[in-house]
Amino acid sequence: MSNIENQIFSSYQRNPDLFDEIYDSNGNIKDVYQKLFDIYGGHSIQDYINLNSKAKASFFNQGITFQVYGEDNVQEKIFPFDLFPRIIDQDEWDVIERGSIQRAKALNLFLWDIYHDKKILKDKVVPLELITSSANYLDQMNGLNPPGGIYNHISGTDIIKHKDGQYYVLEDNIRCPSGVSYVICNRTALKRALFGVFNHYQTYTVTDYAENLLEQLESVKPKGVDIPNCVVITPGMYNSAFYEHSYLAKTMGVELVEGRDLFVENDFVYMKTIKGPEKVDVIYRRIDDAFLDPLEFRPDSALGVPGLFAAYKKGNVTLANAPGTGVADDKAVYTYMPEIIKYYLKEEPILNNVHTYHCSRPDELNYVLENISELVVKPVDEAGGYGISIGNRLTPKEIEEVRKQVKENPRKYVAQPIMSLSVHPTYIDDTESFEQRHVDLRTFTILGKDKEFVLKGGLTRVALKKGNLIVNSSQGGGSKDTWVLKK
Amino acid sequence: MRKEYTVTYKSENIYDNWVHDAYWQFLIIPLENKTQKLKEFDFSNSLHCINQFSINGFGFNTIKIHPQNKFKHICFEATFKVLKSKKNLPEQTSFAQVESSWKEIGSLEFKIDFEQYLKVTSLTKIPKEKQGLFQFGSNRGIFENLKDLNHWTHSHIAYRSGVTDTTSTLETILKQRTGVCQDFAHLFCAICRQNNIPCRYVAGYLNHESGYLGDSQMHAWVEAYVPSYGWLGLDPTNDVLANMDHIKVCHGKDYNDCSPLKGIVHSLGNHTTTHSVVVKNHQRQIQQ
Repeated sequence: MSNIENQIFSSYQRNPDLFDEIYDSNGNIKDVYQKLFDIYGGHSIQDYINLNSKAKASFFNQGITFQVYGEDNVQEKIFPFDLFPRIIDQDEWDVIERGSIQRAKALNLFLWDIYHDKKILKDKVVPLELITSSANYLDQMNGLNPPGGIYNHISGTDIIKHKDGQYYVLEDNIRCPSGVSYVICNRTALKRALFGVFNHYQTYTVTDYAENLLEQLESVKPKGVDIPNCVVITPGMYNSAFYEHSYLAKTMGVELVEGRDLFVENDFVYMKTIKGPEKVDVIYRRIDDAFLDPLEFRPDSALGVPGLFAAYKKGNVTLANAPGTGVADDKAVYTYMPEIIKYYLKEEPILNNVHTYHCSRPDELNYVLENISELVVKPVDEAGGYGISIGNRLTPKEIEEVRKQVKENPRKYVAQPIMSLSVHPTYIDDTESFEQRHVDLRTFTILGKDKEFVLKGGLTRVALKKGNLIVNSSQGGGSKDTWVLKK
Repeated sequence: MRKEYTVTYKSENIYDNWVHDAYWQFLIIPLENKTQKLKEFDFSNSLHCINQFSINGFGFNTIKIHPQNKFKHICFEATFKVLKSKKNLPEQTSFAQVESSWKEIGSLEFKIDFEQYLKVTSLTKIPKEKQGLFQFGSNRGIFENLKDLNHWTHSHIAYRSGVTDTTSTLETILKQRTGVCQDFAHLFCAICRQNNIPCRYVAGYLNHESGYLGDSQMHAWVEAYVPSYGWLGLDPTNDVLANMDHIKVCHGKDYNDCSPLKGIVHSLGNHTTTHSVVVKNHQRQIQQ
């Protein structure tokens, strides 16, 4: 408890029931944090407020904003950024990195299998109903071989540290995981505000993401193409992640397009340019399956490209991620991840899974219905933290409401024990002091042809509301720069 | 025995205002298989756009049209010369086969392999209060049960055009008990799948000269899976087995997988679309 008296952390209150990332098991500040603690502690609160507002302005000026759906008064917000970084040492990172790759590879093999021989279903490792009842299973993908054999080119793995000090995966995101641009922009903002701290630490860079992504996209080019033309397709500027789409296109040095900028002729995809049509070979798509091609999926989609799926099926263009990957990031499939990893890779899972109760199984449903107050109940098919109820935060009336919903549609819900996310000192505007806030970590894993890469850093999301466990930006979360230290 | 047909498909689209961008997909080309050969084929449109030969998401051949100039009126015309030969039908199921075929159908492996044609879609969903309308008898062969269901469906619904459209659900159809070929096909598929027999919706052309009921556009029937035989075509609209008079284009889970014309058209105001299909049997019967 050496420097706890220093100015900026003097009022930091530590709740002993929570796992605080900067303290070791003896209650001392961890070695890796000590230097950081000293440097930050040397500032006065007023200095810190000034630095903080500079960082905020830097985000606004770069246009790094997002919108929240479902609010009446839709306006651009900045993703709140905390200047106090999170540090992950090399040993811990090694586990996270190997674990993230392991999951991404297992999911890729799972997707190949359920769209081809379906061995895992025939061997009764995963129940058939999981696939047939999933709205994200695309019959059109049956028997189709995606270029390079890759389905989930980009995976976002949400990982938390529980109070037992172990890492657990909360979910895998393999449709269009977002957030990577924040990882890079957080680093830039921190460097602008407090570049001096980087003199004391050997951290891995995060700016190599774009080059790795491009290399991976090029590695899964269609057959017969030498130098592929890659593009990023976005739903447009009203999408909450538009900044990220434009950022990635810009840093990869490829075109950012909307559906209307592309067209399909004789099963090849072209981009309209002022110099005439230009063939497109690889599309990093940030639009959902349902909107990709109005001829094949939702006919009312104005975001997609008519004929795109036929071009894909013929092998003339690569889509990353592949259509139909959503079936594997379903929360019900998540619960089978340990079995899926063992089945395909013959390895033990490196990262833990949270125990999950399937409401579709009668005995587990009964347990859930009787213990809602001690469980987190989640719909299996919603992303972004929507529709989650945390049992110990509910009033008896709300519990009744959740019970009713689960009873009516058991297949739609899973439940998990309430995990206690670790906490990290976070600067809070209202109290002008550091307080403990819950954090998670999203890692970004890239799979290409004979290529795997995990961005050394990831997005640490912070639940800014006191006591809140939901860290999603749409639910009032912020983020921190995340450092992976070199040995 | 063979039959030779000429199928003529026409579609006309008239728009109130100029259309600047459009993209059409036609799923109308007769399939080639053991009993069905496509001898000749011609496709044209009034705007003289290039025919792009492509596929749909399930791999069936399609024609795509992407006009380069604005228009208010476009006609499509396709003619196909098709040669049909007779398909052998299953024989009466023997006592030993009855048991083994039901066993096969009950196995997990079978359910996984035929998952696509066993699942309920929005158009093949039977309302709760109408579940169990028709039960297959496990003491009889699947072929016999299918023929019974074909007859039952035929007599359960009266053929009437204009009372349903391609989005009509089974709830409506079972309530009014009238409909056209796709409604018969959807009902058959739904009941068949409910009895664990894989069943697929089939779109194609019908030889009306044999006196069959069906649309003046495209016809719809079904194919159900009979163990140790394969896919068997049944036409519940006419209570017959599909054979020489049925020219298949494609199959799918329901109408939505088989829609003959899909178009993405950017235009304001109203438009009218008309289709017509004429199937002509040239030589009545060719002896091989």
